[in-house]
Order: sequence, then C-alpha cells, then structure tokens
Amino acid sequence: MSAEDDVPRLELLSTIGFNGLVNGGLIIHPDKEHMVYPLGNTVIVRNLNTNKQDFLTGHTNTVSCLVVSKSGKYIASGQVTHMGFKAAIMVWDYEKRCLKYQLILHKVKVEALAFSPNELYLVSLGGQDDNSVVVWNLQTAEAVCGSPAAVQSAGTTFTVKYASNSDDLFVTAGDGTLRVWELDLPNRKIRPQECNLGQLKRIVKCVEVDENDEYFYCGTTSGDILKINMKTKFVANHGPAKGKFSQGIADIKILKNGNLLIGAGDGTLALVNGRSDKYCVIKQGDCKLKGAVSSIALRGQGHQFFVGTNKSQIYRFNLTDFKEDLVMSAHYQPVLDVAFPLCTSDLVATCSGDDIRVWHTCTSRELLRISVPNMICHAIEFMPDGHSLISAWNDGKIRVFLPESGKVWYVINNAHNSGVTAVAATSDSKRIISGGGEGQVRVWDLTINPLNQKLREAMKEHKSSVTCIKVGDKNKQCVSASSDGTCIIWDLINFSRKQMVMSNTLFQCVCYHPAGFQIITSGTDRKIVYWECYDGNQIRELDGSQSGAINGMDICPSGRQLITGGDDKLIKVWDYNEGMVTHVGQGHSGNITRVKMCPERRYIVSVSRDGAIIVWKYPQSC
Amino acid sequence: MEGPVESIYNLIPRAIENPEQPPRYHSKFKPVVKNELKQNRSPNKTMGPAKVAVPTPGEFLKKRSKEPKLPEKSTFEYSDEVVRRPPVPRHDEKPLLGIRTNKNFINTNAVENIMSVTKKPLPKYVDTRNGDNSLLDPSGLVPKYTKKNDYGEVPDYLKKRNAEVRRAQEEYNAYIQERMKQGAMKQLTGMEREEIIGGLKKNWEELHHQYQGLSVVTDTAPKKNRKERMEAEMKQLERDIELIEKHRVIYIANN
Repeated sequence: MSAEDDVPRLELLSTIGFNGLVNGGLIIHPDKEHMVYPLGNTVIVRNLNTNKQDFLTGHTNTVSCLVVSKSGKYIASGQVTHMGFKAAIMVWDYEKRCLKYQLILHKVKVEALAFSPNELYLVSLGGQDDNSVVVWNLQTAEAVCGSPAAVQSAGTTFTVKYASNSDDLFVTAGDGTLRVWELDLPNRKIRPQECNLGQLKRIVKCVEVDENDEYFYCGTTSGDILKINMKTKFVANHGPAKGKFSQGIADIKILKNGNLLIGAGDGTLALVNGRSDKYCVIKQGDCKLKGAVSSIALRGQGHQFFVGTNKSQIYRFNLTDFKEDLVMSAHYQPVLDVAFPLCTSDLVATCSGDDIRVWHTCTSRELLRISVPNMICHAIEFMPDGHSLISAWNDGKIRVFLPESGKVWYVINNAHNSGVTAVAATSDSKRIISGGGEGQVRVWDLTINPLNQKLREAMKEHKSSVTCIKVGDKNKQCVSASSDGTCIIWDLINFSRKQMVMSNTLFQCVCYHPAGFQIITSGTDRKIVYWECYDGNQIRELDGSQSGAINGMDICPSGRQLITGGDDKLIKVWDYNEGMVTHVGQGHSGNITRVKMCPERRYIVSVSRDGAIIVWKYPQSC
Repeated sequence: MEGPVESIYNLIPRAIENPEQPPRYHSKFKPVVKNELKQNRSPNKTMGPAKVAVPTPGEFLKKRSKEPKLPEKSTFEYSDEVVRRPPVPRHDEKPLLGIRTNKNFINTNAVENIMSVTKKPLPKYVDTRNGDNSLLDPSGLVPKYTKKNDYGEVPDYLKKRNAEVRRAQEEYNAYIQERMKQGAMKQLTGMEREEIIGGLKKNWEELHHQYQGLSVVTDTAPKKNRKERMEAEMKQLERDIELIEKHRVIYIANN
C-alpha cells in the first residue's frame, strides 16, 4: 500500500529489549556516553544519561554480531539469513546514525567483525556454512581479499580480532583453529599462520589482543585462558590449571594494568591477574549474574564496565567495589501477551516464556518479576479490581498471582487439558473465562471468602485452540476467537452459543466495539472484519496488512480508533468509521504478537517475538 | 467479602515525600549566654591578676629538674637464692679424686648380723598333706576385725549423720508446729486419711468394675478412646492412693 508511506508516523517513546545471545554484543561507545546493543533486527544506540534511544534499522533478520571502531566513527553489524541466502554486513555512520555501506558477500551468517585500529579496513568472518574471512576497504567499501577461515579439518571459526596498532595483522580463532593473519595489500592477499598449541585441544570463543601487540589472550570453552605470543605464535602460558571457569569463558577484556576481566558461562564475573601464568582471581562478584555472560563492555579505561548476559540483563560494575547493579532487563524469549491494569497507564505487564514482568511504562523499569520455571505463559490479564494477576499456562493451569509480592494466590489446576491459551475476567472480578488448546471455553466462578474457584460451565464448540477471549455487554456475553476459523459469541447467563461467525482464517484476535453491537476480528488472512453481534452478519472488511498475519488488536474506549499489529512488524492506527490508516509505527524487528492501548490513552504498547517491548506515544491528533 | 490486601496500583512508583523538616532549634538561653560570655571575658580587669609569690632568683629552672626522679639502682637478687642447689660445676673445675673411706665393711657387717635379733618366721598355714602353705595373716583364718577396739560400735560418721537427720526432723517439726500455731495449716487426722483412702479405693473399684465390663474387642476409635481414658483414670487413682498411703502424717495448707 503506497498510501502507507505518507501517513504520519507513530512517535516511539522507548523500547525494552536486548539480545544477549550475541557474543560481545553490548558495547560502550568510545564517547563514554552511549551504549550500543542489538535487539532483533535493529541496533540500538542508547544514551547512558538520558536513556534516549536511536535505532539503526536495515537488517532483514536477526543481528548476529556488532562492533564499534576504535574512534567510534563507525558501527558495523552482521546478520543471519536463511540457508542459501547472503547475509549482509551494515556499516553505520555513528554521528549521523545512518547506514554508510552495505557489504554483502558472506552466506547465511556473519559470525564476527573487527575494525582495524586506524579504521582503514574491516575484517569479517562468515559462519559455519560460509567459513571465510574477508577484508574490506572502508574507504571504497569493496572487498580487498578473502580466504577460507580455517583448514577443512578444523571446526567453526568463532571470532576475529584486529591487532591494537597494526592495520595488517589480525587473529581468528575457533574450534581447533587459531590463526594469525597478515595482510599483504599490494598483492591483495591475506596469509595465515597457524598457532602451535601442541597437545592442547581447545575451542576458543573470544580473543583479546594486548596494547603492544605482543601477546593475545584467548578464552576457551574449557574455561581457561591461553596466552599466545603474537610473533612466535607459540603458547606463552595457559591457565588457571585448577579452578577453571565453569561453562567456559565468553568474554575477556584487558585492563590498563594488565589484569583481565573474565566473563564465564555460569554467570561469574572475575578480575584475574594477567601477568602471572596462574591467572589467580583478584576479585569476583558477590553472586553470579543471571544467565551466562555474553559480553563485557568497558567504559573508558575500565573504571566502570557493563556486562550483558544471555538472559538479556545488563549490569553495571565499578572496578573498585565490584558490585553489580542491574541497569536494564528485558525478555529473552518471545513476548506472548501484554496487559494493562484497568485504570492506570503507568504499569504494564508482559509475559514471555516462563516469566511475567511488570514494568513502569514511563521509565521502562522492571518492577516485578514472577517466574514459574519450565512453563510457558500464554496470556495474562489483570483482574479489574486490581487485586490479582491472572495468567494462562501451557501446563493447563490458571495461576493467579498477588500483584505486589508476586506470590501465587491460587491455582486452578487442570483448567484445560492441553494448555490454557486465553484468559479473561469479568468486570465485577467474580468470574474468569478461559480458553484452552483443545477448544473449550470454560467459565469459573470465584469466591474469595472462602477462597474457592468453581467450574461453572465448559462450553465445547471450538474445534481448535482458543486464541482470544473478550467479555462484553455488562458481563452478559463474551466472544472467543479460535484458530479453527470460528468466532463465537457466548451467552454468559444460559451458557449457550448466541452467534457464530466463520471465516477462512485462523482468528488471532477479537475486540468488542465499546458500544457492544459489533465485534472486530482479525487473523492470518490479514483482514480486519467488522461483524454485527445481533445476527452475525459481516459489515465491513478491511485489508489489515499486505504481508503478514495480524496478531494483536485493540480498540479505544470511545470506539473511534483501532490499533493492529502483526507479522508485517508494523503498528497501524485505524479510524474505525473511515476504515483508513491514520498512523503507522515502524520499529519492531520481530513479528508483533500483541498490541494494547493504555487505559488513559497515553501510550500504545506492542510486544514481539524477538523479546522486544515498544512503547509508542498515542497519537493525540485523533 | 474480604479481598487480598495487595493491589497492583500500589506498585506504581511514587515520588518519595520527604517529611517537612521541623524548624531549626534556637535556644532561648542564647541571649543570656551571649551576654554572660561578653561579661566574663576579662575577669582580671576587675580584681587584678591573681596574687602569687614572685619567683626568687635562686629558684631558676635547673637542668634535668623536670625529668622524673628514678629510684636508686639496685642489684637484682633471685628470691630463691638461699635454697637453690649449688651451681653446676664449671667445665674447668675438676672433682676431687682418690678419696677413700676407712670403714671396714666386712667387719661391721659381720658384727651387725651377729648382734641383730633373729627374725621371727611369718605364721603360715598348711592346707595339704604335701605341705603347700601360704601366709596366715591375709588368709582371713585369724579373727582380726572382731579384735578391733571399736568392734560392734556405731561408727562415728553414722552417729554424725543420724544426729544431723534428727536435728533436721526436729527443725522441721518445730517449723510445722509454729505454722500450726499460726493457723496456716492443719493436720489430716487418721480418720480423715482412712476416709480418703477408702473413697479413692472405692472409686478405683467402680472404675475397675466398669473396665472389666468393657467389650473384649476394641475395634472402633470410640472404644479405644474409652479404654485408654479409663486406664489413664485408674492409673491416676492408683498413684493418688499410693501417695496418701505412703505418708502417715499429712498437712494441708489452709489457704
């Protein structure tokens, strides 16, 4: 739809998200005031003081590596693509926050990148299926030369690092390969020299070159450090012999005084003595971080540093006191649902994987985290009285939590035998209506004193999982959408089917028009359809999207605006009466799963499969 | 209907309200103190400087006169100097050699033996015809303890202890008497005691009779409970009877 290009954009207020799986993905920019990290397809530049975020968008798939040049002038990021396609490297101009070059040569995945110290070259490493090293000239944006990254018998090469001073010396390392390369520019050749590890068999995950280019340190999956002489290519020493770092070393940083900062796979962060071959621990964090450390980023000389983990947490450390301080946390699994309490816009709850989090909308701060290990939460809803948080889980239980302490208040066991997929509450807080994977819609009567939940009725009409339930008309009826292609309006007094609408789609979301006479449905057929409640007639059909299914929808209390979001990664604000897109929000990098409008019409919150939560400003013009 | 106390709306971060600080403390004595300070500032202006004797020229400050006076030096003596054994001989001292005694040991020993009184043989007893014998004294065949001077008398320690017991009993009796006089307690008469014992025994008999009448099989919880309760009651009664029977004299506090 070309008309979409000239509609006004939604103003993006903030994002909550960080892809901690990218090794070395968290970087502090050399200006010491910005943090650069990947989130899905985008690279986010965030001001550490003001929390202002800038987005570098352009990748077509998940960002797999990220690097900032020595002066901070350039940012380069690589991505993954589908098998058989070419993965792009994007070089960004930091000052203008725009794309400078796009370099396409590697197949499937760009594994790692490195800038030369004087920013003349960029060296890139392809993934397992590509297995090549390419040197790019940054002035002309052309490949200088390329070469296979390792011998055929060796495994994957994981990392590449440039020397600190020389523009024609870099190191690649990986599973059974450790090479120092020399660039011969006149002949357009790179020549590798294999390092001799002797009897040692190691898988190197990270490399760090010291400032004089004498030695480089390699962190291995065995949890020890190899120190290798850059000139002789021999192992100078390796250690620690005892007390190796559990679950491997994921990142190493060299401090000015020669000590090393080590981040390990079990969440340990330690400062070790780098000048002796014992590598004894000088300082260690009091407790382990949540998740495996995936990146350490020094701010300036390293008096302060930031640590990112694969559970999408960012911690700040001071070198002197070595105490962790959680700066940012985010979901690390697809976010499946979002919910607002009835009368405040300041809080928003999201569920992802096995945890439910409550966020402060203005500051993006995490206020509460509820975890149920090894389960998946499909849907959440706040009880309208605000005293509890209802959640639907894939083990067939409805768990109701107390919203301040996060403790379980009560559990409805065996609510649905193939997982609870949708949940809703009536406005008097006396009923929960739940939908399950098997297609039943069940009504639960709640009494508080004595605490009891009784199955009032099980309504068995849907043939496939229920995706969305909404209560309407003063709690006398409700509507459920199902992926069997039907949407049923239920009578909640006689517990019978009032009306059914059918369409050739998997319904993903349904909304009552606030007046109560119409329902709006949407699903994988990319259509937004208005239906009459009374007789189930179709009133209007709109093309919701050109490319992807619509997964989330919400309508404003006045009934004038409608928001949708889906697999096209766009948030659209519709005029209900006109059926026209009034605003478009662009910023998500994964498929949008749900979108909600805050009760006070200040924000729109959308969540996506890549774990991001984006808060948009509600357009005031309409 | 009581709901839970928690509410989601309490999670909204609120700006911390700093309680307004109370006004700064000002002492009401401040002007007085200020005035007093001002007044008392140079006291010698009114009375003149303190009158002290003028130092004489002979009493000038002498060298080392301000250092503390130490006691006289004395040589150290060990407290056990007198009783101590003579010192170990020095390495260059030579012991006296070649000193011999003039005593004639052969003669003196012979004379001593000749002059000594003959030893009496120890009394023995023979218990077999082969002449196997053993000493008589430790065998116990000779009456030894019955020949002791204090044989058959109450030993001193027992006397002492009996006296102590008697004295304690007397003291106790005196105390009881005194209390009785004060009217704090009364003694249970023999009749009353017998009556109580009789009553308790009657109760026990009744209970025992009932107990004997219980069904043989205790198959239900109420039966079991009843049996256990009766057993416990009987045991209690037995204990009470024993308690009262054990004590001939029983006092009862009046209050």
